[in-house]
Amino acid sequence: MATLPDGQTLPGKLIIVEGIDGSGKSTQLDLLRKWLLAEGYLVAFSEWNSSPIVGDVTRRGKRKELLSPLTFSMIHAADFADRMERQMLPALKAGAIVLADRYMFTAFGRDVARGIDRKYVRMLYSFAIRPTISFYFRVPLQVSLRRILTGRPNLKYYEAGLDLGLSDDPYESFRLFQARILDEYDRMVDEFDLTVIDANRPLLEQQDEVRKIVAPHLTNVLRADPSGWREVLTQEGLHGRYLKDKFRGQETI
Amino acid sequence: MKRQASFYGYNLLADQAKNIPGRLIVLEGPDGVGRSSQIALLREWLENEGYAVATSALKRGKLAGKGLRDAMQGHTLGDTTMNLFYATDFADRLEHEILPALRAGFIVLTDRYIYSIITRALVRGADPYWLRNLFSFALVPDIVFYLEADVHTLSAHVLNSRGFDYWESGMDFLPGRDYYASFVEYQRRIQDQFDAISDDYGFHCIDANRSMHAVFSDLQEQIKHVIADMKPTQPPLPGAGDWRVESSGYGEDSRAEGGYAEGPGQAGGQGYAEETSAGEAPSGE
Repeated sequence: MATLPDGQTLPGKLIIVEGIDGSGKSTQLDLLRKWLLAEGYLVAFSEWNSSPIVGDVTRRGKRKELLSPLTFSMIHAADFADRMERQMLPALKAGAIVLADRYMFTAFGRDVARGIDRKYVRMLYSFAIRPTISFYFRVPLQVSLRRILTGRPNLKYYEAGLDLGLSDDPYESFRLFQARILDEYDRMVDEFDLTVIDANRPLLEQQDEVRKIVAPHLTNVLRADPSGWREVLTQEGLHGRYLKDKFRGQETI
Repeated sequence: MKRQASFYGYNLLADQAKNIPGRLIVLEGPDGVGRSSQIALLREWLENEGYAVATSALKRGKLAGKGLRDAMQGHTLGDTTMNLFYATDFADRLEHEILPALRAGFIVLTDRYIYSIITRALVRGADPYWLRNLFSFALVPDIVFYLEADVHTLSAHVLNSRGFDYWESGMDFLPGRDYYASFVEYQRRIQDQFDAISDDYGFHCIDANRSMHAVFSDLQEQIKHVIADMKPTQPPLPGAGDWRVESSGYGEDSRAEGGYAEGPGQAGGQGYAEETSAGEAPSGE
């Protein structure tokens, strides 16, 4: 069950994934989503840092390097709150499965790595819905760094943690920053009862484990396609050419 | 002597406030009570006295001011999102406008502070415990004035300026579409919340049903005490500064030493205060 902070349970299921950059969590969540859709479930999806209302401020703050550790923390909490109020909460009340790529634990890792008080950040997010399952994809630092840094990508200022002043070299700064975040995640496993997945294994092995853990929770949740268009197509010999526009991105066709 | 800052709770910004020789003066009160006029008058008066003055107002920060105003224009913000948006703007202004000015020895006049944000959230049903914690990184001001006026005075002022505001009339959550009725009810609820937190935060209440001049004189009297042991950064203009003779602290002594306070105000001349208070104007892109 997903539950509100006051203990009230919501009919939907909230499944979230966490892990440092390069842990493979987004890939795993995407595979889970495709499976759930193929099984006919109605799935809502919410991604970290994607609120249309708050996003402009965050982007501008990052581009112009206006963000301090405190305002960085707060603007991400505002982004999260907007997605919670307008996407996740209504979907969970309606009984849907909600998948979230990163959740408040990302803030607990990054903001504390930036020097914000641990208790303060937890208090900041105390309005958050408690997830049904919180997957933590644990991977050794060297493995994730190899995945991310192969090809020498252009690391952005805040992404590399350059605002912490740990090192002037973006790659070295990124390594130190990620190591701090990893420490914070490891602390959170017991504190928040995270479901740890060993992310240093083959992709499909991990996905099997994820599905086994999710499967028992798939009761009394909304199913997609209540309108029966699939039936119309087969019986009338139509291809649903224009339905593809309508359902774009849902991968149900 | 170093002036140490104190915070309401979490010392998240203690490193930025190790020595703040300036003074933080807050004017709080509902929409239409005349805060911005009083700030304009106080600023001129204090500058004439030779003090460096900076101002700051809600939703005017460089980082989030415009984004917050735009989001409110669309009327689509949820309650928690708006509280955190306000908190972001406030934190940005505290770190980038208010604290730097205080470190440089400015008198900072702020048009509203955390209390307005807290009361507007409380009337909308926010968790009081969460709210207080959220804003507990705020610096404790040297003085907080709460300008009080009855709702008829307020609505007359509001009608005289830009008319009833959607949010300041509680149109986002109160029933009905009648702006005036909604404004009256909203301001009543806001006032109740201000009364409820007044003692905790030590508000100095000022009766703003009186003339602008009477209110201004009251504010002046109390501010004189707040700045009594502060030295101006510039000599007062001719005719200004007469009040100081009978007040404690400042006087012939420091003038005889030939010393006004050291600081950027000295070097930067009169123009300095103007530059640093740029946050007052809407920030451009």
